[in-house]
Amino acid sequence: MPHHPYKALYLHVPFCVKRCGYCDFATRAVGRDSAEIDEYVEHMVMDVRRYAKQGELADIESVYIGGGTPSHIGMARLSSLLYALSVSLDLTREGLEFTMEANPESLDARMVRDVWALGVNRISIGVQSFDDDVLEVLGRAHDASRAQAAIEEAKQRFENVSVDLMCGIPGQSADSFARSVAKAIELGVTHVSVYPLTIEPHTRFYHDVMAGLLDEPDDDVEADHMELAERMLVDAGFSRYEVASYAKPGFESKHNSSYWTGVPYLGIGESATTMTQNGERRMRVMNGEVVDDLDRRQMEAEDLMLGVRMARGVSDERIARAAAHVDGVDEAFLELQHLGYVVHEEGRMKPTKLGWLCGNELYGRLLDLAP
Amino acid sequence: MTEQILDTMDIERERGITIKSQAVRVNYEADDGEVYEFNLIDTPGHVDFTYEVSRSLAACEGAVLVVDATQGVEAQTVANAMMAMNANLEIIPLINKIDLPASDPDRAREQIEDGLAIPADDAVLCSAKTGVGVHDLLESVVYNIPAPTGDEDAPLRALIFDSYFDAYRGVVALVRVVDGTVRKGDQIYMMAAQSEALVEEVGARRPTEIALPDLSVGDVGYLVTGLKDGAQVKVGDTITLSSNRASEPLPGYRDVKPMVFTGLFPIEGDQYEPLKEALEKLALNDPALVWEPETSHALGFGFRVGFLGLLHMEVIEERLEREFGLNLLATAPSVEYHVYKTNGEMVSLHSPQEMPDPGEIDHIEEPYLSVKILVPPDYVGAVMDLTTNRRGNFVNMNYLSTTTVEVVWEMPLSEMILDYFDRLKSSTKGYASLDYEMAGYRPSKLVKLDILLAGKPVDALSFIVHSDAAYNRGRILASKLKEIIPRQMFEVPIQAAVGGRVLARTTVKAKRKDVLAKCYGGDISRKRKLLEKQKEGKKRMKAIGSVEVPQEAFMAILKVDD
Repeated sequence: MPHHPYKALYLHVPFCVKRCGYCDFATRAVGRDSAEIDEYVEHMVMDVRRYAKQGELADIESVYIGGGTPSHIGMARLSSLLYALSVSLDLTREGLEFTMEANPESLDARMVRDVWALGVNRISIGVQSFDDDVLEVLGRAHDASRAQAAIEEAKQRFENVSVDLMCGIPGQSADSFARSVAKAIELGVTHVSVYPLTIEPHTRFYHDVMAGLLDEPDDDVEADHMELAERMLVDAGFSRYEVASYAKPGFESKHNSSYWTGVPYLGIGESATTMTQNGERRMRVMNGEVVDDLDRRQMEAEDLMLGVRMARGVSDERIARAAAHVDGVDEAFLELQHLGYVVHEEGRMKPTKLGWLCGNELYGRLLDLAP
Repeated sequence: MTEQILDTMDIERERGITIKSQAVRVNYEADDGEVYEFNLIDTPGHVDFTYEVSRSLAACEGAVLVVDATQGVEAQTVANAMMAMNANLEIIPLINKIDLPASDPDRAREQIEDGLAIPADDAVLCSAKTGVGVHDLLESVVYNIPAPTGDEDAPLRALIFDSYFDAYRGVVALVRVVDGTVRKGDQIYMMAAQSEALVEEVGARRPTEIALPDLSVGDVGYLVTGLKDGAQVKVGDTITLSSNRASEPLPGYRDVKPMVFTGLFPIEGDQYEPLKEALEKLALNDPALVWEPETSHALGFGFRVGFLGLLHMEVIEERLEREFGLNLLATAPSVEYHVYKTNGEMVSLHSPQEMPDPGEIDHIEEPYLSVKILVPPDYVGAVMDLTTNRRGNFVNMNYLSTTTVEVVWEMPLSEMILDYFDRLKSSTKGYASLDYEMAGYRPSKLVKLDILLAGKPVDALSFIVHSDAAYNRGRILASKLKEIIPRQMFEVPIQAAVGGRVLARTTVKAKRKDVLAKCYGGDISRKRKLLEKQKEGKKRMKAIGSVEVPQEAFMAILKVDD
């Protein structure tokens, strides 16, 4: 279908040195020397070139290499991928954000220098915790000192360094979590994502919880941790621009924000999702399969749902545009205001802390406008 | 070969139980060279179906008393053996499962002699699985069980020991002919039901049905009536000929009365009619099943359904959900209370909601059971504790053997249906067995306990309880409900109250965090599905006022001992 240009590009690297106990992402443990990875990267390179020739990459404003563990595949393969990207789109374009994910165990000084030189300008490190006991529970391949070293190395070249932290992990005290947040602040990162542990089916954690070997994360504890993170990070000059994302001013992730603002994105690689849309229709395709096919009404409702994940919420104009296509929009927002999930400020409907904590109610109500 | 050939329902096969009786005719060539015709009836054993068992026994000359060599004599064995003796049957003791390593035939033999006063020297040792002893059993039947007696020339008298509904042929009765002969084309008369029917077919099962010209004295077989209403062909009734009626029916008929009642409500309102139709269909096959419409503020329109007992209830609920695809919500079972009002009127109560105003009540009576429990001596103390807690009165105790004690209690039926059997099993490591019979109505100090959610009474959660236990049960139920009711967007106080006086109070705290999982590219599709699933999940809950209550909350009262 004729579609609006893609603005965001995602490349998926589905390989890790080992699989963590909680992980249900599309990834697998594959040895670094495996020919499987060579072949996979070669395919990605060909896809990048093909899309470039078709003109699909001309308007890209953000690139994100995620996984899996992109740093696990080594510098040689990353070089060929990054080189292909550099000749396929304008990586020097003003404001272009180019993120690569890395795990501490496979990120070294050399890789930091090289990926930076090849155009990456933001690095996102899967730290999860600075507590060795907690890292062991999670089944991570690194320890706290390695995590710290990786961040310090990244800081040598990158101004924009993000870390992921997890809370609500069995055995993780509020104190341990607070020390991890403090450590991230102290190391001078510019962006932090904070997620409560969720137990997903088909993971080792899920089986362990079912077998009674592992305590299920407690909602109240997770809520306490989330609030603790907010207090500490806001005090340190971060703003919570999305329910789980904190940034120093100007370091909000452009790429991630595009997911929440109805910006079309192209995904390359296994299980990478592409969102294609025009004014009438929005489709998501993954592994050649259409997973969402939305009409205009559903698009509007989805944009409202995604919009309230972000602190700035949705503008009155945006709501008016949605209301022109979908019945009951104003009533829904009135009801959500009444419940205390959103407030109206500066011409925008913004989520409250309660709205974020009870996100499924808030999102569900908006998505329900056009199921 | 198909196993459990006579247990044809899925639910019978899965649970290894018999719910419907079955009759089979086989020819056996004995060692003496003669061919004998055996008519066998396989009956349920569970106490819920005691009446059906008694009618099957009444249709027989003899009984094989099967004792599990690994379990020994159980309370049910005693109860059924007593019934067989009362029916003057010749009893052949058979000790089964002797192939199993844990089998102890000597102990079983001792228990049969001491506990049942049945000589067990010639008890047949058998393994139905390997076939060992089956020949001995058949020879024993030939030599010990008398041939049927009866008057071929007398007017027809045939005992109905079971019946079922066949969509194409109407009600089919399983009968034993005592006197006279019945033929295809006869006009028959059911003496208790006072109904008539034309016999469309008679025959025997081997075990597939074989049509025969007639059934005569001693024959066991089936009889196709073409009737559409199961209530006209009642178990225990006597069939005679319209044109040549017998003067007296066979003895022993009684109306089957339901003992346990529960509210069944469709989760989705549009399933009310399908539920009604499903109950009607099941009742064709099961005249013991009775119901009346019930309306609950909390649950909407449904039915108050009466059952013979808890197993019967479980079986029916499972069949409604499985065979008719219904999604049901069942309230906690209750019994039939007799409420005597100050104006002299007596009200039969099937549901706590019907309880009159306390001011109008003179006194209340509830059904009591005579309960017989067989247990190894080591566990007598545990049984005492449990049963005393359940308002049981000890009657007596005697040793059936060195390893088995029989303890007799009287206790309210309402306590029995609160998960008593499971508790008994677990407090005796599974060794106890149980049998009971009605012992009549007794006065009791009973009160209605109400449960209030967010300040509003929920009728479907009320129950009737002895006033001494009200505080405890109220407190336990309130804390059970606190575990079961998910946290909502606001605080939900739970109160247990009797007549406006609050006995216990707890609170479901307000929810603080939903899943805050990441929501990037592909996660959005997953998020959509998750939110849709959440909506589906809510459908499985009942919204009572503004509180979402899961189905199991209505059964929480059954778990008061946990």
